[in-house]
Amino acid sequence: MDESASDSPKKADPYSRRVFLKQIVSGTVTTLMIYTPGARGGHETSRIWKQRSTEHQWAYIIDVDKCIGWGGCVRACARENNVPDGHFRTWVERYIHTEDGVYVDSPKGGSEGFEPVKEEIRDKAKYARFVPKMCNHCQNPPCVQVCPVGATFKSPEGFVLVDHEHCLGCAYCVQACPYGARFINAEINKSDKCTWCYHRIKQGKLPACVEACPTGARKFGDLKDPKSDVSIILQQGHWTVLRPDMHTGPTCFYIGLPKEVI
Amino acid sequence: MSNPSPRSHLYRLGVLLVAVFIGLLVLKAVTTPSSWNYEAWYRGDVLTDMSNQPLVHGGNDSCRDCHQDEVNKIKKLKHKRLSCEGCHGPLADHVRDGEKSADAKVITESRWQCLNCHGELAAKPRGFPLFTSEVSKHRGLEEGTVCLKCHDAHDPTP
Repeated sequence: MDESASDSPKKADPYSRRVFLKQIVSGTVTTLMIYTPGARGGHETSRIWKQRSTEHQWAYIIDVDKCIGWGGCVRACARENNVPDGHFRTWVERYIHTEDGVYVDSPKGGSEGFEPVKEEIRDKAKYARFVPKMCNHCQNPPCVQVCPVGATFKSPEGFVLVDHEHCLGCAYCVQACPYGARFINAEINKSDKCTWCYHRIKQGKLPACVEACPTGARKFGDLKDPKSDVSIILQQGHWTVLRPDMHTGPTCFYIGLPKEVI
Repeated sequence: MSNPSPRSHLYRLGVLLVAVFIGLLVLKAVTTPSSWNYEAWYRGDVLTDMSNQPLVHGGNDSCRDCHQDEVNKIKKLKHKRLSCEGCHGPLADHVRDGEKSADAKVITESRWQCLNCHGELAAKPRGFPLFTSEVSKHRGLEEGTVCLKCHDAHDPTP
């Protein structure tokens, strides 16, 4: 029979229009299911930080476009936490992107502001930004991993802290931190770093650097509170972190970070 | 006199090992802090110790406790978002045990105090009010004059 003879090879043909369309549609649906955030069981941001069972989940936001580099945050931090001269728990760097490369400086950690750069750099500058830096209070902190005595640890609410009574001052953590946020405090010979002003948070205040910031470049808040500044800003999704390739999971988020910044 | 057991050296070694093991257990018990958190591996009491660190900066709310009128007045002015302690110094230098211990003076009245934020630099954000380095072009300004001679620090409208 002519009809049946022409039908049967059609069904077996792997390149028929029907099979092609079927595969296109099923492939598209599968791909969409994989890349749709909802299909993975959560909001886009919830994949970035582990939900903690504690009452608060703190986060820090640095808006690079708002920083004026006045250094009041660095001074306030040093005074609040008795940081010895020459060391910084937080500091401000100036990045100047020029035709010849990137020029970076941070005189005295930016604590006394910045002087104008040399004319030869300024004339070649394409754009420049102040970038405040500090401990990123990582979710997977390398410094905690290397501490041989359990002196540095991640507190239940997400602070990465140092127990000065327990620390030996071996400085493994100083080497492990990819952000250079740690130092050995020469006065006590122990490892030291930003605590997000743990004592202030516990007394209902903001970190000293956040209080000192006149432009709102530094923000601190609770991710468990959907109306907090940090929750609202992070929901908008225009943030990034330092060294995402290290998989440390920082909870210090940057807005408007130039790609030159490491 | 009977011969000593041919395994006596093993017994002695065994006793020594047990003694060393017990010694290590005692050492561990003595040196491990009582509040040690075995799950997260840190001394539990450290959180209380750290939260007892004294406050140095009180924040603008603490200024309002005594200087309500001034703080409310500044709320309407240009510099309302600034930290009082940024120019006037931290609370701990001004108040001790709830009593005034020293005057909260302005740290410096020099030109730097203003130019620290408003000095012209390439990296400043767009739209931020900047004072150019060509000070001499500023009307009627002599070298060494402080900005506060004409401008109000709390409301520095030009």
